[in-house]
Amino acid sequence: MVSPETSDSKPSQNRRPDAPDAPDSEPPKPVPTRIVLAMQGVTKSYPNGRVALRGVDLMVPEGDFVFLVGPSGAGKSTVIKLLIRDELPTKGLVLLDGRDLGRLKRRDVPKVRRRIGVVFQDFKLLPNKTVRDNVGFALEVTGARAKDIAPAVDRVLRVVGLTGQADQLPGQLSGGEQQRTAIARALVHNPRLFIADEPTGNLDPVISWEIIQLLLRINELGVTVLMATHNAEVVTAVRKRVVALENGRIVRDEVGAAYHRED
Amino acid sequence: MLGFIAFSVRRAWHGFWHNGLMSLAATATMILMLVLLSGLIILRTGLEATISYVQSEVQVVAYLKDSATPQDVAALETSLQAMPEVSSVGYLSKEKAYQDFLARHPDEADVINSLPTNPLPASLQINLADPNNYASVATYLNKQPTVDHVVNIKQTVDQLNTVINVLQTGGTVLLVVVGLIVLFIVVNTIRLAVVARADEIEIMRLVGASDAFIRWPFIFEGALVGLLGAGVTIVLLFLGQGPITSFLSDYFKVLPIEAGATVGRDIALTVLGTGVGIGILGSYLSVRSYLIR
Repeated sequence: MVSPETSDSKPSQNRRPDAPDAPDSEPPKPVPTRIVLAMQGVTKSYPNGRVALRGVDLMVPEGDFVFLVGPSGAGKSTVIKLLIRDELPTKGLVLLDGRDLGRLKRRDVPKVRRRIGVVFQDFKLLPNKTVRDNVGFALEVTGARAKDIAPAVDRVLRVVGLTGQADQLPGQLSGGEQQRTAIARALVHNPRLFIADEPTGNLDPVISWEIIQLLLRINELGVTVLMATHNAEVVTAVRKRVVALENGRIVRDEVGAAYHRED
Repeated sequence: MLGFIAFSVRRAWHGFWHNGLMSLAATATMILMLVLLSGLIILRTGLEATISYVQSEVQVVAYLKDSATPQDVAALETSLQAMPEVSSVGYLSKEKAYQDFLARHPDEADVINSLPTNPLPASLQINLADPNNYASVATYLNKQPTVDHVVNIKQTVDQLNTVINVLQTGGTVLLVVVGLIVLFIVVNTIRLAVVARADEIEIMRLVGASDAFIRWPFIFEGALVGLLGAGVTIVLLFLGQGPITSFLSDYFKVLPIEAGATVGRDIALTVLGTGVGIGILGSYLSVRSYLIR
């Protein structure tokens, strides 16, 4: 399929050094509204000097399902932190629905976060709240009216199949059920983009499959999904778009690909 | 807006009771610190009362010539009372001075009785509004023809002032130092309670809660800790009112200490204000570190 040479010679990554002021010479591309997420020439270095991302370009159209793969420390977590605007890029643009996250006013950050649903390996549920209250919490703390919360929660609990467990505490649930609770919470704001950071990292293979099936179904409902994972088996079996990071650069971006390079 | 306040208060209430141990620790610390602080304030009130009592006892004594007629003395008394520096004037006649001497030195009755006439002069005791103004009163008295001489109290007043300054400065420094310690300890205890809920704050941020929705429940919770702490402290002080008052009058050996209604109300208000104030401050500072990004 794609040889290492061709995949490494993406124009945006290997700018010719002889071009005058190369990074700025490109005319700004008009961003189509159908692009949910765009990263343009994104570099991120941390105060301790570590460079996590180097000139990353990524376009994710609406309705896409993208696996973000790569070894630990390749920059997957940094990509996610930039997308939820937990960090700001050192250089380059991160656009969500055409909005530049780097120029976002502080008070607008929460509004953007409501357009992004995010789940993590460690679920991040509140242990003293029931499934229903954990999901409703996301609406409650964003100022939703009390009477709107219950129907919205019931709806997403049906999507993730947890209606029967609504009144249980996280401690009474299996790992898969806890992750589905987190997914329900991430869905309750009707996000444009759904981000899953190693969602199956703490789960056994069978449960992992259930979670992947759920994410695929969410994707079928029209939500764009970005999933960072180490789970090679799942990635290879599903045959979706795979973006591979290594040392802060995108080294592969293929549709219908496997976890590892197949050539 | 009303919904937001209701939300914040409800969340603060839940937060307080669902994190019982941390809330208990914060409230207990708050109570201990407020008791410490109010104890110091009570001591300082006693000290101030003592100082003003001692100051009111400073007298200028003017010995009168035997030639002074009662009319002269009455005129002098009237003119002294008209002076703003003077709070009261007392007259000690020759006879009363003689009686006082006998009462104080009964063994020397023979000596004084052997004299042909009563050698003790009549005198005026002038209490001052502020002992530092003794000089103008003394100067005035020295110019009066009926005054024989005025007792020089400069050294006494200077020594008294030194002692008072040391006590007042020391009291203020101690109060400020203890106040800072109280502030530091309470703010840190509340900080621990907030840090224990860092996960909750992180989740709120991730799901898109605005800063106000994250901050205000914690601020109300801090105010609740302060309110509860202050309430318990005030009840403790109220229960301890009797022993405290008797301690104060025993310790300072001064009668007119007004540990009455005003002092009690002032201390209660101070405790309440301090408790709620540092509760809010502690929460604000603790949550702020999670919101600055």
